[in-house]
Amino acid sequence: MNITLTLNGKRRTADIHPNAKLSDVLRQLGCASVKMGCNEGACGSCAVSVNGRVINSCLAYAAQADGGTVETVESIGSLDHPHPIQAALVEEGAVQCGFCMPGMIMAAKALFDKNPSPTDAELAIHLDGQLCRCTGYEKIQSALRRVAAHGAPVPSPGSSTKGGRS
Amino acid sequence: MKITAYHRPETLDKARSLLRDLGPAGIPLAGATSHAFMKGDDEKTAVDLAALGLDTITATPQGFAIGAMARIADLQAFAAPGWVLDRVALRFVSQPMRNMTTLGGNLARVFPWNDFPVALLALDATLDIAGDTVTTHPAATFFKGQPARLFKPGDLLTAIHVPAVGPGCGFGYHKETVVNMDFSLFTAAAWVRRDKRSLAEVRIAVGAGVPLPQRLIALEDALTGKAFSRDTVRAAVIAHAEAVSWKGGDGFSADYIRQLALTHLEDALHAAWNDAAGGAV
Repeated sequence: MNITLTLNGKRRTADIHPNAKLSDVLRQLGCASVKMGCNEGACGSCAVSVNGRVINSCLAYAAQADGGTVETVESIGSLDHPHPIQAALVEEGAVQCGFCMPGMIMAAKALFDKNPSPTDAELAIHLDGQLCRCTGYEKIQSALRRVAAHGAPVPSPGSSTKGGRS
Repeated sequence: MKITAYHRPETLDKARSLLRDLGPAGIPLAGATSHAFMKGDDEKTAVDLAALGLDTITATPQGFAIGAMARIADLQAFAAPGWVLDRVALRFVSQPMRNMTTLGGNLARVFPWNDFPVALLALDATLDIAGDTVTTHPAATFFKGQPARLFKPGDLLTAIHVPAVGPGCGFGYHKETVVNMDFSLFTAAAWVRRDKRSLAEVRIAVGAGVPLPQRLIALEDALTGKAFSRDTVRAAVIAHAEAVSWKGGDGFSADYIRQLALTHLEDALHAAWNDAAGGAV
């Protein structure tokens, strides 16, 4: 079956099997940031935003995203112009192996988009699906706390569409 | 299970018609989060219910009407006087899973550890199944066995009606997991109505640790009309927990689950009592 979606601001089509998971299709479409971890919705490394909600793309069928808007970390920042969340994570030394970072950043951005100054408790609730196997939670939390303290600025539209790495 | 075809109908009638025609080859698709656990090679045609407009939460004169496709995150975010399901939602797995999982999906097929059946039993909710006509089922009936027994081919769970927790009433919910995102080892929910220092009405439900979520009617009867005190609650819980066949598993003995039950039943009742007084839960 054919699906059409708006992926990171661009209209994309894909010929997929109805059983295909969204994570696989996104990787086939070039979004290497979508990491395959547990494949059962437990680790959050595949987290992407679909129609404004951050979900585990390893559990969602790609067909469910047909007609929708999907955002991955590729749309969020670039090496030259990192999103404030990405900048804070780097400045805090919060990125170890980096495998969890795309999902972590997507989850954090979804929260900051709604609430620029979340409390520690709100951060804990909204990031409770993101596991870091390096166990670097303290520095991740410090980085996000730093963003929260300043209120996450909204990047200008189109500031970053390629070269994103996290 | 393998999905070999996919439909996203835009009306309830079309969805019902598709599922009726497909019979066992069709599967309603809600949040899809449980599909990862459906092993085997059987091929299914998915009928996605996302476009049916069943995802709203509405205040009604009696409480709240929740569309079966409302996400757990919607329950988490909703706020209104008498609304308590946000407390249950917050203990549900993780934020990405709360963003995906639907209330209907958590109810239509019941595993022992499902969270919301326990809360809905304590809150005395009702559930609507759309067939040729809409039939309304009390939670106590709906969860008496696997809900599938109530569905004919093409029937769909469409709405859940939850009474508001009114003045003088309170709700308590306790869930035990090994780690935060884990399936429940034991879940307890309690709803009480206070009359000064007494428990005028009590509903208590448990899940996990038992084959299916259930009300503890004997314990409710033992507490109804009694003056509330720590000793009264503890004595009643201990006496009536003995009569329940607790189920162990996943490395936990039935006796360990019974011990969890004693603690969490007491805690849920105290939380409901304090909630009824407008205090902390």
